[in-house]
Amino acid sequence: MLRLKFALAIAESAGFLSKLLRRGSGETLPGRILLALCPNAIELLAQSRVVVLVSGTNGKTSTTKEIVSQVRSVGSVVTSASGSNLARGVAGALMKDSVFAVLEVDELYLPEIMAQTNPAVVVLLNLSRDQLHRMHEVKRVATRWRDLCIGAEPTTIFIADIDDPFINYAVTGAASVIRVSFGGATDGRHADGAVCPSCGRYLDWMDGHYQCECGLSNESADQLYKNGSAGYRNFVLASIASDAVGVHDALTNVALRSDYRGMERATEKVFGAVSTRVRLTKNPASWREALAGVVGDNVILILNAREVDGIDTSWIWDISFVALKGKNVVVTGERGIDLAYRIHTEGIENTLVTTFDEAIEAFGLGSVEVLAAYTAFFSLVGQ
Amino acid sequence: MKIIRIHNELLGTYGDRGNAEVLVYRAGLAGIETTLLDIGYRDLLPSNGDIYLLGGAEDAAQILSCNALSNGALHGAVEKGAIVLAICAGFQILGQSFYANKTEQRGLGLLNITTIPGTDRYVGDIAIYSDLLKINLTGFENHGGKTILGAGVEAFGSVVVGHGNGDGVSDGAVAGNIFGTYLHGPVLARNPEFADLLLSRAHGSPVVVIDPLATNYASMRRKIVR
Repeated sequence: MLRLKFALAIAESAGFLSKLLRRGSGETLPGRILLALCPNAIELLAQSRVVVLVSGTNGKTSTTKEIVSQVRSVGSVVTSASGSNLARGVAGALMKDSVFAVLEVDELYLPEIMAQTNPAVVVLLNLSRDQLHRMHEVKRVATRWRDLCIGAEPTTIFIADIDDPFINYAVTGAASVIRVSFGGATDGRHADGAVCPSCGRYLDWMDGHYQCECGLSNESADQLYKNGSAGYRNFVLASIASDAVGVHDALTNVALRSDYRGMERATEKVFGAVSTRVRLTKNPASWREALAGVVGDNVILILNAREVDGIDTSWIWDISFVALKGKNVVVTGERGIDLAYRIHTEGIENTLVTTFDEAIEAFGLGSVEVLAAYTAFFSLVGQ
Repeated sequence: MKIIRIHNELLGTYGDRGNAEVLVYRAGLAGIETTLLDIGYRDLLPSNGDIYLLGGAEDAAQILSCNALSNGALHGAVEKGAIVLAICAGFQILGQSFYANKTEQRGLGLLNITTIPGTDRYVGDIAIYSDLLKINLTGFENHGGKTILGAGVEAFGSVVVGHGNGDGVSDGAVAGNIFGTYLHGPVLARNPEFADLLLSRAHGSPVVVIDPLATNYASMRRKIVR
């Protein structure tokens, strides 16, 4: 414990200094230092708390925020800074004392963080293609999760959206699990769900439902809710998680807010005379969700391909951009040309510019919707 | 011109569906009418297509697709001279055998190649020199296979950057009108000259397409990946 106290003191002052010197956000540096000085800091700091972990391809940050806002009514909470979902982000979040810790966790880091935090609740949102240069295959991530569910303590409750067959497969062997269905997958099927992750048979979909010969099916939910947007689904899952850790009116709220569409990662921001709504679009699933929400005529699309964006841009061809036909579309980003050419082949006229400033200048004034890759999103709207 | 995209719900993991869209778009610019047919796992594959396209996939999907294609329809199309472009897992399926789910699987035997597990997973930008096109082609590879070429097939390209068939020397295979490669991107989006080669063969005469954005995109990638 002495070592931990020493490490905490150093890490805290480093964070303070980093903020003072405006070097980075000061969010991950303390966590990094803490883990360097005390490798089992996460385990020691998590011991006395009620820990809730949130993982999945899309919606981690917004679902985590929703759980935080609900749990706050019954006790003090610490949480991860937006998007800081690796070990250092978790360590940084745990530096302050609290009753609850609600943490978003990267899909591949979930086994490691679970082993160190003995969570009360783990929310498994969804799995779809993302950063394939790192994840390789969706099935590979699901299989890792399946192994961790089998090995988990029976006191850990998994909350799983089983309309996603990868999630349903992952919780197959979990001792304690709440299987949630929203009456079927959005859009009638999971876009990457043509094969049963459990047995490898072809998975036939009917109105968002699947029922494999091997038994994997979303007809066997413990809790059934009405269908809705990804934002609504995550809100419900967040409420079930909050209920499980003692927020007694959490599920009452769900019934009251059945038309809830919030929790979308859109941030309003003004650049000169242009007011924008910036949305995070980081993989096919989040692009589809964001494109369905574009209402204005002016759109800026930003594509980058750094590590967290996914260094291979091939996946943009799995998205149909026809919803943008007839709109004023400006494309930018480090890999803007990839996207410009992709939508060009769909017959969508667009202007390709080098920088975001030029994209804003192209409009000059008015309101513009911005769909931004992961790194572009965070550089535009910050934490 | 009839373009057939095979089992995209299975062979669509790495964006290779875009190869079909590039062909349709460029054919349109050249004034050639096309029909794009999506053939799913439950559908019967017509053998009267001009160009057949297969993409990359995860293991279980690769096995399903290969089994469904074993009925001979694709073989029939090839006998009639159809063009086949197969990427990554789709390329492996065309061979004598490949590995999926850690087990050896019998392939379609359309290309005299065999694929065994590689020593590593090969992930990253790739550039190859194509003898056929006399230019460098770029793409992105993401696979764990090592493909060995047998008699009667040539490599599709020689590796400039990356791993290709797993030996770091050759990528893909060509035999007649059958083309296989590990290049995602999609390969035809990043290399319009290759798209035009396939269109020309299917059309029976040279197809010339002018699309500056496509050309800029291709040359930009070639400057970066080399």
